[in-house]
Amino acid sequence: MASSDKTPDQMPPGDGSLPPGKGMTITQSMVDKGAEMMQSFKPIKQMSQHVCSFACYSHDMSRQIETHHYVSRLNNDFLQCAVYDSDHPNARLIGVEYIISGRILETLLPEEQKLWHSHAHEITSGLWTNPRVPEMINSGELQDLVNTYGKFWCTWQTDRGDRLPLGAPALMMSPQEAELGIIKIDLLKNRDDKYRMSTDALKKSRASLKMPESMNRMADYWKHAGKGFAIDIKEAQIKTTAPFP
Amino acid sequence: MEGKNISTHPDIPGEETHTGTALVETATAAIQGFGPINKIHQHLCAFHFYGHDMTRQVEAHHFCAHQNDEMRQCLIYDSPEKDARLIGLEYIVSENLFMTLPDEEKRMWHSHEYEVKSGVLFMPGIPGPIQRQDLDKVAKTYGKVFHFWQVDKGDDLPLGIPQVMMALTRDGQLYNNLKQDVETRFHVCFDSESENRKSMTGPVHGIHPMANAGGKGIKTVLRETDCEPVDSVPRVFV
Repeated sequence: MASSDKTPDQMPPGDGSLPPGKGMTITQSMVDKGAEMMQSFKPIKQMSQHVCSFACYSHDMSRQIETHHYVSRLNNDFLQCAVYDSDHPNARLIGVEYIISGRILETLLPEEQKLWHSHAHEITSGLWTNPRVPEMINSGELQDLVNTYGKFWCTWQTDRGDRLPLGAPALMMSPQEAELGIIKIDLLKNRDDKYRMSTDALKKSRASLKMPESMNRMADYWKHAGKGFAIDIKEAQIKTTAPFP
Repeated sequence: MEGKNISTHPDIPGEETHTGTALVETATAAIQGFGPINKIHQHLCAFHFYGHDMTRQVEAHHFCAHQNDEMRQCLIYDSPEKDARLIGLEYIVSENLFMTLPDEEKRMWHSHEYEVKSGVLFMPGIPGPIQRQDLDKVAKTYGKVFHFWQVDKGDDLPLGIPQVMMALTRDGQLYNNLKQDVETRFHVCFDSESENRKSMTGPVHGIHPMANAGGKGIKTVLRETDCEPVDSVPRVFV
């Protein structure tokens, strides 16, 4: 089984709901609400921004998705994001992305760097946006983000209709100027209409952003090598501390 | 044998957040809608181990939201503190939904019966009787976990490829020092709590033989592939 499998073996049947499953009972909701008030959610409260952008599957760049990142910053060079397929309360958690500065990426081994993608084009082109945030608030931080790289694993391929998270995680890549990385018109228009925004206008307003002096040579691996990545799931010999299962 | 305690963790490389950046991010957080994040309502603590190596055990703090009555999605952190690292995620499904999965898919999922009944899986800060209302359901569910950041190895960044993780399935698997450390920090006692959970039951049809990787080890492997060619569809040059 691999992340690059065309379609999962068999789609779970059901009533067509996404994901399948019975609705919450009122009792369950009330119990949850009560319990929720007794716990603290410190890591979740650290999420400080919602970013809407696009990504492509590294093993099939023609498959492109709109992404919704909920971002926490851990220090000036590192952010971690929970990624969803929409910003609705019922959005599906489709993966995790980590974002690091260019200078930190340079310290990693080339084999690791291959798994990362650049953000410069995505930001300067207006594809990456903070919905509902006036652009002016952002510009200082955007300049820093231009020189970052991301590593994005997608664990639920909802774009191909998976009604439950099936298969292995897929490595994602970022939109780029080069052919395979150009985002499809209809996908873009859909996003822009939804937020009553214009990616093109954003691009113009970001014209003064400076591109990084140099780009990491291994990141955006498909651009240099024409190759993507897949994850295979394999049986292995397990080391144990006690019998299993 | 001892497990490695990762509750004191090394720093992530990088400078401290600049004040200007912190201010911008406070502003954006106030304006934007955080739909899916606001649905996260529950904090669960448990342990995971690597699908090919039970000797590597990781304390896992789950922050969970219901998609519906039969499915939850959880963000996994290495601690419940504000500097916690997002190390993975877990999907949790009812027995009914699990049974609809293809057999090969079932291998990647683990059962929750033992974790719940042993007291090892718990909700920090929640009184026993309230926890047990929900955990009674959780005992019958299955989970699929990937970790992206091997903090137990001391990685200060999320290096490498996703790891399929598994959960405890019987006594004797969990390292004593990890158990005691969590019990001390969260003021819980797994064994006493387990007494209170004796009447809970696991999946109605018993634990599926394909779950928990069918009792074998399971691992991920990276492979280079070609990039598929693009359709000839006109694109806007953005």
